[in-house]
Amino acid sequence: MYEIGRLCVKIAGRDAGMKCLIIDVIDKNHVMIDGQTRRRKCNVRHLEPLGEVLKVTPNAPKTEIVRIFKTLSIDIKETKPKKVQARPKKVRKKKPKPVKKESKPAKKAVKEAKNAEAKEKPAVKPIKPKTESKTKAKEIKTKA
Amino acid sequence: MPQPRHRSRSKRRVQRKMPGGATKQKYVSRKLGVHKCASCGAKLKGIPRFGATKAKHTSKTKKRPERPFGGFLCASCARKRLKAEARSK
Repeated sequence: MYEIGRLCVKIAGRDAGMKCLIIDVIDKNHVMIDGQTRRRKCNVRHLEPLGEVLKVTPNAPKTEIVRIFKTLSIDIKETKPKKVQARPKKVRKKKPKPVKKESKPAKKAVKEAKNAEAKEKPAVKPIKPKTESKTKAKEIKTKA
Repeated sequence: MPQPRHRSRSKRRVQRKMPGGATKQKYVSRKLGVHKCASCGAKLKGIPRFGATKAKHTSKTKKRPERPFGGFLCASCARKRLKAEARSK
């Protein structure tokens, strides 16, 4: 029943109600169809065969199928495939970086540097030599 | 006692917990009924349950399946109808 050339009506899918021709038999459950529908694999359960069997070569081109359908006075909408275009990539405009002015060294930084230097060198107090008069005065007192 | 406008049962009462911990009662509108098949009465799939105000803002393809008799007949009833039409011709 589902042989090459059999005219069918699609029952299921978004193209249901459209007429198609069986172009090729894939296996027990699937066939290749073309016509008012797109050229595609279809389950046999989604087709309702009609009484007509037409002479078609297996895997016939679309032009032949259009010619056959014209003889049966069935209109086929011809669609052109869309050209795949790459999506335009957004390019961000780069802003020029502002030129930084030479800033004065911060007062805090200067203070910290001074403190650090002071910490490194411990303050050495100069030892004052003891005067002779004071030492002699003490010795005289003690003797006395 | 609820306010007179809230005594209607067309809106359902829902208990909700507030961020502070207290529970308050809210009045939420009910969903619309499920669409059914015109021939067998089965529930139809692919049709959202909202009214005309929301339907205005949704596209046609999102409101029904993309199939002949979509939104009117179920898939099996649509198949039977198409088969009968093909056999009658």
